[in-house]
Amino acid sequence: RSSTHIRAQGRVDAPQASSTMARRYDSHTTTFSPEGRLYQVEYAMEAISHAGAAVGVRTDHGVVLAAEKKILSKLLETGTSSEKMHKLDDHLGVAVAGINSDANILINSARLTAQRYLMTYQEPVPMEQLVQTLCDQKQGYTQYGGLRPFGVSFLFGGWDKNCGFQLYQSDPSGNYAGWMATAIGANATAAQAILKTEYKEGMTLLEAKQLATKVLKQTMDSTKLEAEKVEMSEVGWVNAETKENVEYRVLQTKELTALCDEANAEAEAKAAAGKK
Amino acid sequence: VEAKRESRPARGAPQNPLLAMSIMSYNGAAIIAMVGKNCVAIASDLRFGINQQQTTAVDMKKIHKIHDHLYVGLSGLATDQMTLAQKFKFRHNLYKLREGRNMKPETFAHVVSNVLYEKRFGPYYAEPVVAGLDPVTGEPFITGMDLIGAMAPTTNFVVCGNNEESLFGVCESMYKENLEPEELFEVIAQCLLAGVNRDCLSGWGGVVHVISKDKLITRTLKGRMD
Repeated sequence: RSSTHIRAQGRVDAPQASSTMARRYDSHTTTFSPEGRLYQVEYAMEAISHAGAAVGVRTDHGVVLAAEKKILSKLLETGTSSEKMHKLDDHLGVAVAGINSDANILINSARLTAQRYLMTYQEPVPMEQLVQTLCDQKQGYTQYGGLRPFGVSFLFGGWDKNCGFQLYQSDPSGNYAGWMATAIGANATAAQAILKTEYKEGMTLLEAKQLATKVLKQTMDSTKLEAEKVEMSEVGWVNAETKENVEYRVLQTKELTALCDEANAEAEAKAAAGKK
Repeated sequence: VEAKRESRPARGAPQNPLLAMSIMSYNGAAIIAMVGKNCVAIASDLRFGINQQQTTAVDMKKIHKIHDHLYVGLSGLATDQMTLAQKFKFRHNLYKLREGRNMKPETFAHVVSNVLYEKRFGPYYAEPVVAGLDPVTGEPFITGMDLIGAMAPTTNFVVCGNNEESLFGVCESMYKENLEPEELFEVIAQCLLAGVNRDCLSGWGGVVHVISKDKLITRTLKGRMD
């Protein structure tokens, strides 16, 4: 009975014979499984869990996004474009975890949304609006068209007039939430656990950067953190006293190296103390 | 009753006979851009009028900054000039996000021309003047355009606005090549004031931007307030 069912639908089943019921509900993203799950969305999240980690920390003085670079090669031309960090508008940036080509489509779409809002209202797009629009787009790919979902999770860091500095996380299902600190990508649960214990209210931007570096170090595979393996960006006041303008800024190598060295030293000291 | 009937315009006739004259003279503007030695200057008047006869504002911005070394001035119908400025900002913001750098003035001029020509058969009633320095080499660039995007790049000066003939005349006599920023400021300021003084649709002061590689001079001019 099951084979005729498949033949009638004209689908080509997976070449290998699979025993689990789940396989029959995999191919169509727009179909629920009997247990009420959307497998394609879950598989997308699985793809992301293999991607380079990204960590975000929000403070009252700014938002920090830090990420682990996966593509490391001396032959790679660095240039101006970044692997993990992207600017969406002057007051907004994202860190990406997942399939980069998927991310590029969504980033372009987000940039257009931000500019269209600016054009109509002559003021920068409020963060949640932009996140919502993007997530609505992601959701569409889980319900219409039979296309696969985007294999990307984002960490949005930015500022708007109404809610100040904010950090949002979105996933392939189109869900999003605002966070004080969060992580996506490889070892995200471990990173989240560390953030839960170490995050404090009222941190300065520097403390947030140090926290993000520390969390990255502990979730990355290597023992020593190097500036070439890490990317960091922040959204903060251009002038902390006047608080007139915010700006999204990617950290330069010098600052990154300083943060990495600090994190490495702290870890070494802890290890030495532990040995004693 | 008879008198009332006379004063009301006949049905079907344009409500405002002045509109039949020129939509480009509805609000009023005067803009000049000049090339100096490693610098450009762009100046405009500040009048904002309605229906040719009424002055509504005297601080109307007609020159818009695209980036530190690129400015665009727009004359013509105020609503179109405002909307176009916003459109150009939109385009440049996306360009900067995608390419990671500011637009060159020539490139921007082509974008302006393109945006205007898209509306070839229902145009924006605005005539732009682009003035800027190449972000890398610092070479000056200016160009003027008509309302459907025909560019006219020159190496000396461009003008646009209601009183173009006057502006052309005064620039032609006073312009000199290779002026330093401060000298260029003097020349362009005097040209603007002289040009708008005899035009009722432009004036009420002016604003001048002189753009050099490392410096920007912005000054407001006090002219005849009429």
